[in-house]
Amino acid sequence: MRPENYEAQRHPPSNEYELNIGPNHPGIEGNYAFKLRLHGDRVIEGRADAGYLHRGFEKLMEGRLWIQNLAITPRICVPDPVPMEISYCLAVEDLCGLEVPERALWLRVLQAELSRLAAHLFTFGGHAATTGMYTPMFWGIADRDLILDLFEELCGGRVYHIYNIPGGVRRDMPPGFIERVSNTLDYLETRLPDYDNLMFKNLVFVQRARGVGVISQEQALDWAVTGPNLRATGLALDVRRDDPYLIYDQLAFDIPTEDGGDAWSRALVRRKELFESIKIIRQVLAKLPSLPGPIRCPIPNPLAWNVPAGSTYVRMESSKGELAWYVVSNGSEKPYRTHVRGPSQMHAVQVLEKLSIGCRIEDVAQIMFSLDACPPEVDR
Amino acid sequence: MKEGESSSYDKIRSMTRLKDVLEVATSFEQSARDFYTDLIPKVSKNFRWLAEALAKEEQGHYDLFTNLSRRDDIAEAIQAEIERPVTDGQFADAIMSPDLGPHPDDQAVLQYAMGREHLAMSHYRSLADGTEPGPIKDLFAYLANEEAKHKEELEKLYYETVHAGGV
Amino acid sequence: MSDIDYKDHGGVLAPLKNLRFFGRNAVTVPLDPRTASANYRGFHLNDWQACVGCSTCQKVCDNAAITMVEIPGLPEDPVKGVRNLRPAIDYGRCCWCALCVDLCPTGSISLSREYVHTCVDADLDSYFVLPDSNGIHGVAYDKGWAKSVESDLVALERTDMTEAAPEARIDNFEEIVAGYDKNQAIIEASRCVQCGMCHDACPTRMNAPEYIRAIWQDDMEEAVRQIYRTNPFAHTCGRVCTHRCETACSVGHRGEPIAIRWLKRYAMDAVAPERVKQIAAEGKPGYVTGKRIAIIGAGPAGLTAAFDLAKQGHEVQVYEAMSQAGGMTRYGIPYYRMPADMLDRDVEVIQSLGVKIQYNTRIGVDLRMDELQQQFDAVLIAVGLWTGRSTRIQGADNDGVERAVELLRKVADGEPIRVPRQAVIIGGGNVAMDIARTLARLQKHRYGEVAITLTALEDIDHFLADRDEIKEAREEGVEILDARGPQQVVIENGGASGLCTWKVLSIFDEKGRFAPKYNADDQLIHPGDMIVEAIGQAADIALLGEALTEELEWNRGRLKVDDGLRTSADWLWAAGDMVRGPDVVTAVADGHKAAASINQFLCIREQAA
Repeated sequence: MRPENYEAQRHPPSNEYELNIGPNHPGIEGNYAFKLRLHGDRVIEGRADAGYLHRGFEKLMEGRLWIQNLAITPRICVPDPVPMEISYCLAVEDLCGLEVPERALWLRVLQAELSRLAAHLFTFGGHAATTGMYTPMFWGIADRDLILDLFEELCGGRVYHIYNIPGGVRRDMPPGFIERVSNTLDYLETRLPDYDNLMFKNLVFVQRARGVGVISQEQALDWAVTGPNLRATGLALDVRRDDPYLIYDQLAFDIPTEDGGDAWSRALVRRKELFESIKIIRQVLAKLPSLPGPIRCPIPNPLAWNVPAGSTYVRMESSKGELAWYVVSNGSEKPYRTHVRGPSQMHAVQVLEKLSIGCRIEDVAQIMFSLDACPPEVDR
Repeated sequence: MKEGESSSYDKIRSMTRLKDVLEVATSFEQSARDFYTDLIPKVSKNFRWLAEALAKEEQGHYDLFTNLSRRDDIAEAIQAEIERPVTDGQFADAIMSPDLGPHPDDQAVLQYAMGREHLAMSHYRSLADGTEPGPIKDLFAYLANEEAKHKEELEKLYYETVHAGGV
Repeated sequence: MSDIDYKDHGGVLAPLKNLRFFGRNAVTVPLDPRTASANYRGFHLNDWQACVGCSTCQKVCDNAAITMVEIPGLPEDPVKGVRNLRPAIDYGRCCWCALCVDLCPTGSISLSREYVHTCVDADLDSYFVLPDSNGIHGVAYDKGWAKSVESDLVALERTDMTEAAPEARIDNFEEIVAGYDKNQAIIEASRCVQCGMCHDACPTRMNAPEYIRAIWQDDMEEAVRQIYRTNPFAHTCGRVCTHRCETACSVGHRGEPIAIRWLKRYAMDAVAPERVKQIAAEGKPGYVTGKRIAIIGAGPAGLTAAFDLAKQGHEVQVYEAMSQAGGMTRYGIPYYRMPADMLDRDVEVIQSLGVKIQYNTRIGVDLRMDELQQQFDAVLIAVGLWTGRSTRIQGADNDGVERAVELLRKVADGEPIRVPRQAVIIGGGNVAMDIARTLARLQKHRYGEVAITLTALEDIDHFLADRDEIKEAREEGVEILDARGPQQVVIENGGASGLCTWKVLSIFDEKGRFAPKYNADDQLIHPGDMIVEAIGQAADIALLGEALTEELEWNRGRLKVDDGLRTSADWLWAAGDMVRGPDVVTAVADGHKAAASINQFLCIREQAA
């Protein structure tokens, strides 16, 4: 830009300005950019700018053997990696006609629910931080760490478990594991009143969160909102109940709902889901000792494994919403196409844009966190 | 005097000096060496190496006994050897020692050689048994042992050539 | 929400309730490294003694984090399937998924419980590690995720091969092995990890990984094409090869090796003979070189050389003393192991390339060596080991004493033999098993019962025969007595009536050489009206004639040959059993070597002329 070519542009007088939030910003969950046009403190328009976490998973998976993809599936969603692993395995099992042994199914549910617990604890911290409260974040991360310890014992990895394999799981529980899980759950239950006092009963949080980012039921269905966000509008829709997978049809649990549709309701739904997950896990722990047997069914030599041609669509309830995988095989040793329907894609892009219109600038971050929109899932 | 012929052994039965006995034994090895050396051009070239190897073995024996007889401490030297006698496996015993004839094959040559060693060993052994304890008895035992070692070596070679499935 | 009463502030004293937090212990995490869990996936460990360098870990790693590095000084033994390569890990790429651990055939690689590594920028290379049992920093950490039965992904079990039961096979010479069907073959082929140890161990350097993969992809013509790159005796080797490939197979270290031989059999049987001929002929030039080569002996070595030379455009004339081709594979191996019609297929493929075979022609009798020397540009002698050795014990010259190779030849040729009521076999190798089982069948057919005793010098663990042969022989009713040495044949009324044996004390010297030692007190007489000697074989080199025998150089009883299998006479090559000892696949490899050497020699002659 040479000085001689530069001519100052005069804009008409305006009281609007543009502000970029992200991609590195404490008010953004993950790496994600959001362009705001503001009038004072009010948002007139918000544009999502995704792509900062695009790692090309769907294409990468086409170039790797079916077994090799196990190592990269958990990395698609960082806070809640387990549903990614499980749904990939469910898809491959569907295509191959593999029958997963019962013990493996229960272990998968254990893993999935523990992951839901960990993800929600993570989210509490994030949501509270957007309202200026940082103690819930420390508490959430610290308590989540205990769950990560359990994962380390069971799976060999804390965050990226790589525990599931088409046909079942890779390792059985170590001895004494049931007791340790139970102890951790007991501890978490004693902590919940503290969380309530700190956060959920805290007037600061209530007043900040109530009425922010309201979604009506019609809007939720129109915008493809799923998960706790949908249940916070009053609709008791949950893939675990509506389209049971693994052994969820054998478990007793409720689907908590709220009817406010705002950030406050969404936080409460997640808080109630903690109870439900703990309930589910306790049922699994009670059942596991009476389920001996293998933890996976035999698969061919992974280096010479052609998955039969066909396509399948599997869906699961992750902590963020309805997660689905569409996997196409052309009968070869690598997937032909995999597509991940990440629940956050709808939440972070269209829902967030729509909800940010008219809200105050400080609430933009809160809306995003209350939607639990996870950018790794958006970008893949 | 010929190795293997019992008359030859009678002569040394009554000798009393170690050096004399050794001289006779050495001459046995010499005659054996000469026998095999004569055999070399008579056998087919494909297994001529056998006759050459046997001649070389006997030459080795000849050298061994010659060097031994030059020592001053013959008695002590052989003492150490006979403390660990080679057990006779009798492998060669069942094999008939053929008359070599005009066109022996490799198996026949080996059979003949083993037979010769066997007889030499037996003779020395019987000499040892029939002698009073002392350096002469020890010497006979030593000579028997050497022949047994030689025979065992040939038995290994015989097994490898005839029994192990290869040429 | 209804059950959180956020309006309840707990009264005026509510804030005081929070004083109880002062009574709580602070959450303190020690600064010392925390021991990871028992299954933790940390940095790699590799047991270099167990690792064979097969590179399967490199193949399965989805981030290309593993590089195989050559370590001089480590053992390298193609026969046992051991390479001096060890995996190096680039931790900039590794994601610690432990697929390398689960797919390691030997179970040598594992992940430890160590998880901390830091360095300054200048030492960034420290993230590229060659792990051994001492770990990344040389400090011993326990194993974390290691090979376990649950997570093992190696396909350890072999697909069973259907074989005829003893009752069904004892009175006939039908082929015992049924062969794989398509499903079985594809499953068996899928077990292969493509490490290539089989290729290194095979004397002919068979492209086994390639043909196994072709079978897995159900591309049978490609499989045949890969097989014919190195082995024109594939129907035969697919049935009777000594399968060094399977001994070296890396999956075989902990599990059962891939059934490489049966897969070869399957591939060859799956393609029509006409198509096999076309595939075998691929690459044959359209011209002829004008050179003529004579080959004595239509066995594996001779015919493989003929195949190669014909494919190079030379004119090949094979002289065979028997009435059919195949050598020992026809006249030494019984039909229940090697059916004659499958051997015919191999021979026909070779003949289809233009190789001419003249049967019932004995060199030395019908044609002389010097005639061959004049009429041809090069001569290859591959006459095998057709003279059976005799124990020459007392009574061995009786009519009741036979040599195994002669009996087998007669049976294969359709010549009638006297079937003994009771037979004693001397010998513990494959030939002894072959004659024992052949006579058992003839006995069953003629008399309705089997009466065979087999004695051998070696103890059962050192029998030269294949374990399978011993097992099947026993199933067929052959009584096997090991460690017995023949003393004499018992003669009664001018005929053999039994064999007298002594117990053998098997002692090997420090070099592993065997001089049998007898215990004369343990003597047995084994009754039998036929004694069969199957102790060893020699080459019948009378065909060379005395002058040529004298002219050539010899090496411990065998023709002396150079690396190209050329003898000391510049026009004469020698290959196969007569030079290397009895083994089919080595003979095939020899055929290639000799043909390559002959071809080179003929090219040089052409240039010099």
